[in-house]
Order: sequence, then C-alpha cells, then structure tokens
Amino acid sequence: MRTEKKKSHVGAKIAIIVIIAYLLLPLIMTFIYSLFQEWIDIAPTGFTLAAYTELFTDPLFWKAVGRTVVISIIPIILCTVFVLLAMYVVVVYHPEWDKMIQILCTIPYAIQGVILPICVLSLYSSAPEPFGDRMFMLVATYMVVILPYVYQGIRNNLNGVGAPRLIEAAQMLGASKFYAFFRVVIPNIMGGVTISVMLAMAIVFGDFVIINTLAGGQFMTAQMYLYDIMKKSGQRTCAVIVVLFVVTLIISACAFFLQSKGKDRKDR
Amino acid sequence: MKTKRKSYLLALAPFLLLCILFEIIPVVYTVVRSFFPEGGEAGFTLDNYINIFTGKLYQQAIINSLLISVLSSVIGLIVAFIGAKAVHEERGKLKTVFMSILNMVSNFSGVPLAFAYIIMLGNIGVMTMIGANYGIKFLAEFPLYSVWGLLLIYVYFQIPLATLLLIPAFDSIRKEWKEAVALLGGSQMTFWRKVGIPVLTPSILGTFSVLFANALAAYASAYALLMNNVSLLPIRLSEQFVGDIIQRPEFGSAIAVVMMVFMVLAIMIQNKMTPKKGGRR
Repeated sequence: MRTEKKKSHVGAKIAIIVIIAYLLLPLIMTFIYSLFQEWIDIAPTGFTLAAYTELFTDPLFWKAVGRTVVISIIPIILCTVFVLLAMYVVVVYHPEWDKMIQILCTIPYAIQGVILPICVLSLYSSAPEPFGDRMFMLVATYMVVILPYVYQGIRNNLNGVGAPRLIEAAQMLGASKFYAFFRVVIPNIMGGVTISVMLAMAIVFGDFVIINTLAGGQFMTAQMYLYDIMKKSGQRTCAVIVVLFVVTLIISACAFFLQSKGKDRKDR
Repeated sequence: MKTKRKSYLLALAPFLLLCILFEIIPVVYTVVRSFFPEGGEAGFTLDNYINIFTGKLYQQAIINSLLISVLSSVIGLIVAFIGAKAVHEERGKLKTVFMSILNMVSNFSGVPLAFAYIIMLGNIGVMTMIGANYGIKFLAEFPLYSVWGLLLIYVYFQIPLATLLLIPAFDSIRKEWKEAVALLGGSQMTFWRKVGIPVLTPSILGTFSVLFANALAAYASAYALLMNNVSLLPIRLSEQFVGDIIQRPEFGSAIAVVMMVFMVLAIMIQNKMTPKKGGRR
C-alpha cells in the first residue's frame, strides 16, 4: 500500500514536470530568440540586446502601448459601472431579475471570438454617428466581451458580503437604500471586483481579433504593432512578445496579490 | 411620488442599452440577414445556407473547424485530466509552481503564440533547422502551415485552460471514497473507472464545451500563421466582411449563424448530459 502511494506520488511529480516543460518551451524559446542574432543550430550565437533597445526607442511602440492602455481601461470602467448600477436595482428592488441579467451576461460566451465583432460591424458600419464611429463600436464591443467576467466577479462578491443583509442593517441605522448600496456595500466589494476587472484587463490587452475586425490598421494597439512587425524582423517580434507578456503578467500578478491579501483579511 | 418610486429603474438603463444595442440587436440582425438574398434585395431565401453546406470551400471549413475544435479539446482534456489528477495527489511547492505557470501561460495565446511556433517549427524555425542539420526528418518536415500545425497550437492554449477548469472539480473527490474502494478490494484503476470519472463527468463535459467554443471561435493564431489561406469557419466568416475579396454580408451572416448554432449546441449537449442536482428524473 505504502509503496503504491509513493509510486503514484512520483508519477504525479513527473506528470506535472512534463506538462510544465511543454508549456514553458515556446515561451523560453521566444525569450532566447529575442536575445541572439542568429539561431540556426542547437546553440544560438551573437548575444545582443539590440532588439530591446530598438523597441524601447521606437516612439510607435510607446504610442501603441498607450492606445492599448486607453482602449482597455475605458470599456472596463464603463462596464463595471453599468453592471454595478444594474445590480443595485437587482439586489435592492428586484432580486427575481437576476436570472435575466445572468442570461444577458452569459450570451457573450456563445458569440465569442470573431462572431460578435463581425455582427457589430455588419450592423453599424454604415450607421450614423456615433454608432458608425469605429472607436464607439470598439469600446462597446469590448464592454460586451468582458461582461461575463465583470458580472461574475461582482455577483460573487455581492453574495460573499451578504449584500441584502448589509443593506437591511444600514437601513435600520437610518441610511437610504441608495446610500446603503453605494456607500456601504460597494466599498466592501471593491477589492474583489478589482480582481475580476484585472482579469478582464488581461483579456482586452491580448485581444487581436476585435481590434483587427473593427479598426483594421487604423488604430494601432500593441497587438497590431506586434502583427505589423512580425513581417519585418523575427528578433524584434520576439522582443515585443516578451515585453507584452511581462506586462500581462504584471497585471495578473497584481490581481493575484490583491486576491491573497483579501483572503488574509477574511481569515483574520 | 409615483415618478420617484420608479426612478431607480434608470440605474438599469445603461446596462440594458448596452446589451440590447451591442449584443441582442447585432445577433438578431445577423440571423435575419442570413435569410436575405445576396445583393441586398428584400425577400426570404435559404440559398445562403445551401451554399455553405454544398460549396466545397465551405464544407471544408466546417469539417476543419469541427475537427480541430473536437481534437484539440479532447487532447487538451486528456492532458488536463492527468495534470489535475497529479495536482490532486501532489501537495506542496511543486503544486504552487504548477498553478502559477498554468495561470501565466493561459495568457499566452493568439498572435504571440502563433509566432512562437513559427520560430520553433516554421520554415526557418530553430527546430526545423536543427532537424535539417541532424537528419531528424520529423522536425525538418514538420507541417506547421497546415491544419495539423494549427492543431498543435490549439492544443497548447487548451491545456492550461482545461487544467485550471478541472482542478477545482478534483477537490470534490474525497479520500474516504478511495479508501472505501480499496477496502472492498478495488484497485486505483477501479476507483477511477467506477467512482472518480463518473463523479467528474459533469465537470469534464462542462470543460469540454468551454474548450470547444474556445477553439471554434479562435481566430488570431490561425490568422497570424496562415492569413486567409486556411479553411476555417472564423477565417471564412471574417473575409466576407473585411479584407480584399468581394464582401458578401448576407452569406457571411449565414456562416456566423452556423457558428453560433455549433456554440449553442455544445452548451446544450453539456446541459443535457449533466445530471441535475437532486437526483435523476
């Protein structure tokens, strides 16, 4: 019995290590590729940081990163505000409407990827302003794409703090329903909501299909910059990939950090 | 007093407007448009659908898309099952490292992922070169720019997603069950066959439908690797609306509807096959 247990333990270790190696291989190769001039045999030759210095001195790159940040943050803030407002009505007045909100927030799963931007484009491409404006379409489409994640995050946290009871308690102390929701409940869930918002941020940050469909080459975000440079230099492309990947990692690391901090607080 | 009582409904307005204008209407419009004849005249026709299912190019797209989605999901699930089972048995540092890596690489998809495979196995990729230099035919002639190459890339992004989705399911397997099976003389294998996998079936099916939808709609990797030179539904869909060839919005709408039907079917099959809480029937 004991030996069997031990054996399965070793098996588990090996399985995990093999999967880790498989998953890290493309990342490590990309990283090494970005640091050398040539790699046509087992070992690469000609170590250089030129790809990174070129990249960091390219104003186009910084502009692209700036655009990405702007186009990620605006939809995320708007979407969070919209869902919070809707959940105010649901939690305080009509709990039975939650089902409807939930369905509306699940539909984006069935129209993910290329489907939603194509549907939006085909409907609004020749519509009058502001609907015909590509930026308007882009922001709205991103909002719909992240809807499931933002909703899930907000709802889980509302349940977690027991929103209806909190509101009742606040009302007993003389607060209005509006005040109770926005000044008592929301500050309590903001930490948790930030986590889901950051996951949404990583999604928008890595998006290529929506920006490519709705804006084409007109609005060069970091992903479009990457796609553009892909045809020019392999080494620089790898450098861009590494930099963007690190940025995404920082975003999700922040989310994780907040999450574990939140857990600590609850445990105490 | 009356206006005051209903004024809270205003808070719902932005959310509903967003959903109606950018979720419901675009989808309904696409569905309706798919029944219009090409060229923008009014009328009702099924021609667009008939063309999809009889045209060689589009039949191929459907077959390729379904093939690549199902295969990448199944392979992803098998690896994820092994990985999640290992996590279930493993405690300590390695588990934490594994979880962080899964979370990390789940962000590695789309254009960057496709390019990573291009430098590894593309025409002048590192492994291709090594394969050519040392006579390793398998590497030297790896068909990256094909549906099989794409499958390799798809499997890569399915694995972390599938593993992350399956790990919580394994938490529901209790140690006592294993002990009970062992007491009754069952082996580890018997436990997984008779208890473990049946308990996990709903989660496995749920994960499968997420993976399937994920692969079916994936566009960026395929586009980065092969541009429009691969017959996949998302590629064929987008080229009807954007790009160099003649735009065919009505026909494209029908492709979009076919894709949506596949997505919904995947979700429905999963719902049907998952036993409802509180016993069957």
